[in-house]
Amino acid sequence: MSQSPRLEVRNLSVRYQTRGGEVHAVNQVSFDVFPNEVFGIAGESGCGKSTLIRALMRLLPENGVSDADLIQYEGQSLDRMSEKKFREQVLWSKIALVPQSAMNSLNPVYRVGDQIIEAIRNHTSQEKHEARSRVEELFDVVGLESDLMDSYPHEFSGGMRQRAMIAMSLALDPGLIIMDEPTTGLDVLVQERILRRIREIRSHIASSIILITHDIAVIAEMSDRIAVMYGGRIMEQAQSEDLFDTPCHPYTLGLKNAFPSIQKLGQELVSIPGSPPSLLGKQTGCPFEARCPFSIDQCVTEIPKIESLGKNHEVFCFRNTDAPQMREQATSMSTWHSSN
Amino acid sequence: MLEYVIRRLIYMLITIFAVASILFVVFRLLPGEATLQVISPAMDDAVQDRMKAAFGLDKPLWQQYFIYLKNLVSLEWGRSFVSAQRVIDILQYRFWNTLLLMASGMCMTLVLGIGFGIIMAWKRNSSIDIGGTIAGLVFQAAPPFVTGLLLLMILSYRLGLFPTGGMYPAGQRPDGVLALLMMPAFWERIVLPTITVGLYYITTPMLIMRDNMLEVLGSDYIELAKAKGLKPSVVMFKHAARNALLGVVTLASIMVGFAIGGQVVVESLFSWPGMGQLMVESAASHDYPVAQGTFLMLAILVIGLNFLTDVWYCYLDPRIKISSTGLA
Repeated sequence: MSQSPRLEVRNLSVRYQTRGGEVHAVNQVSFDVFPNEVFGIAGESGCGKSTLIRALMRLLPENGVSDADLIQYEGQSLDRMSEKKFREQVLWSKIALVPQSAMNSLNPVYRVGDQIIEAIRNHTSQEKHEARSRVEELFDVVGLESDLMDSYPHEFSGGMRQRAMIAMSLALDPGLIIMDEPTTGLDVLVQERILRRIREIRSHIASSIILITHDIAVIAEMSDRIAVMYGGRIMEQAQSEDLFDTPCHPYTLGLKNAFPSIQKLGQELVSIPGSPPSLLGKQTGCPFEARCPFSIDQCVTEIPKIESLGKNHEVFCFRNTDAPQMREQATSMSTWHSSN
Repeated sequence: MLEYVIRRLIYMLITIFAVASILFVVFRLLPGEATLQVISPAMDDAVQDRMKAAFGLDKPLWQQYFIYLKNLVSLEWGRSFVSAQRVIDILQYRFWNTLLLMASGMCMTLVLGIGFGIIMAWKRNSSIDIGGTIAGLVFQAAPPFVTGLLLLMILSYRLGLFPTGGMYPAGQRPDGVLALLMMPAFWERIVLPTITVGLYYITTPMLIMRDNMLEVLGSDYIELAKAKGLKPSVVMFKHAARNALLGVVTLASIMVGFAIGGQVVVESLFSWPGMGQLMVESAASHDYPVAQGTFLMLAILVIGLNFLTDVWYCYLDPRIKISSTGLA
């Protein structure tokens, strides 16, 4: 990709101070988002993906501290920007959010349309009627009747609220829309409709999208590039097709196994035994080591480096050169279940 | 909205009717013959019977009940045993006095309580938050007669800043509520009782508001409001406070009922010629018609204020409308 990235993040880390100690929720995460692409971040619950976007939007709770070597939006540094400037010039107008729980993200006591108008008028000098007609336009884009503008959130179904949230995120033509689990909690049919709608909208707008989800199927379908997160780190990052054709990290291999394939119907799914690591305290090795059937001694004592395999393919694993053999072995159930 | 208001209005009338009926029973169950105050047993039996007949006391109880209801509606609430004034006239004067004091006390409680609650939640764990909680608990623990006496002692006797009691200077009774409101002397006198009432009741709305705010601030729509780049004050007041207010409004209607109890103490303490004082006086002098009228009037006041808070709640929370039609 020759274009300069829209968003550049270098070595972003987030720590939470808790009664039990320091939780390293996100560690040394680096990635770029290029114009007009969908960048998927996949990972199971607790892997730090929501914390990551909260840090980007400065929405961390009080006990959360983030620091980064660099966060840039179109070449402009965001991490050193004042609170006020960030709020006025970046939030929503440049980086908008479709939150994880659209069900509860609309304020129950205000009309849906008014909440979008509020976002528009907060960042522009538009008159109320101009903002209203913009909302009508947006409702049309996401497939909602424009007279629903004056309804309250409780009068909307889950799918309608999600559409309204997408409409809100589009309101100011932001360069980047972060979609945090946009289809979680919706039934499969509504999910499909929302995804189709997102794909349609994508072809009309110039925004880049960061799509965050634990749903491998959704991410495979939607993303141009994918980062796989585990234990607060990016394990592997590549073009979508590369990631699924030639996965290199044992965690990605495991994820791929756990995901039913339409071609190999009837084959038993192989899950990764064990549970995600506690992120309490400082990490001394690879976070996936405890569940990894391919781990070596070095994985316990040393934190791997991110190795580039060319073609924007990066992997966080000491044994990246053994990837072909690991790929072979990972398909058999015995590999995963004899390791511990 | 209109349908909801009408339904509430009907509930209100039913409640008032129930209270009136209970009062009818209670006053007839009171130990001792109520009529003793007027019809002396020393009188001739024939005279006693005639007097009872004049009051309608010879009729069966159910007939008396309907006469009682009819009189209530037509505002014939009887005459005082003591002053022979019409009860309704006495109450009319006293009602406004009580309403004025209650309104100013409740306004202080709600405005300051809600305001401090918001600030305490905003500055959680700061010295404002901790100091506010301690102060609130102290005020709550201090009964109004103690707070009131302290205020009187310090601000009136020692510093001479405020008159010690009454509603207006002796011998200057204003004619009508408007004339009263125009008197500077009235405003001087309402300050101390207002503070006394206000401080006693401020704790509950303040702490409830604080807790509701903290809960609301953790909700998803607040995070979204922040993500929209709204100013912190807009997030706090427009998005969080309005939702947190819902619980306080529910509470306000309950508080109004309790406030009547405090009203009795405060009115006695500050010689405030309201219904609370009237209730004490009439009970002490066995003035049953006045006592009965006072109880009923206070009940109507509480029920009426509850009605107002219900309507306010409906305005604040659009979800109510749906559930109210759903119930029909």
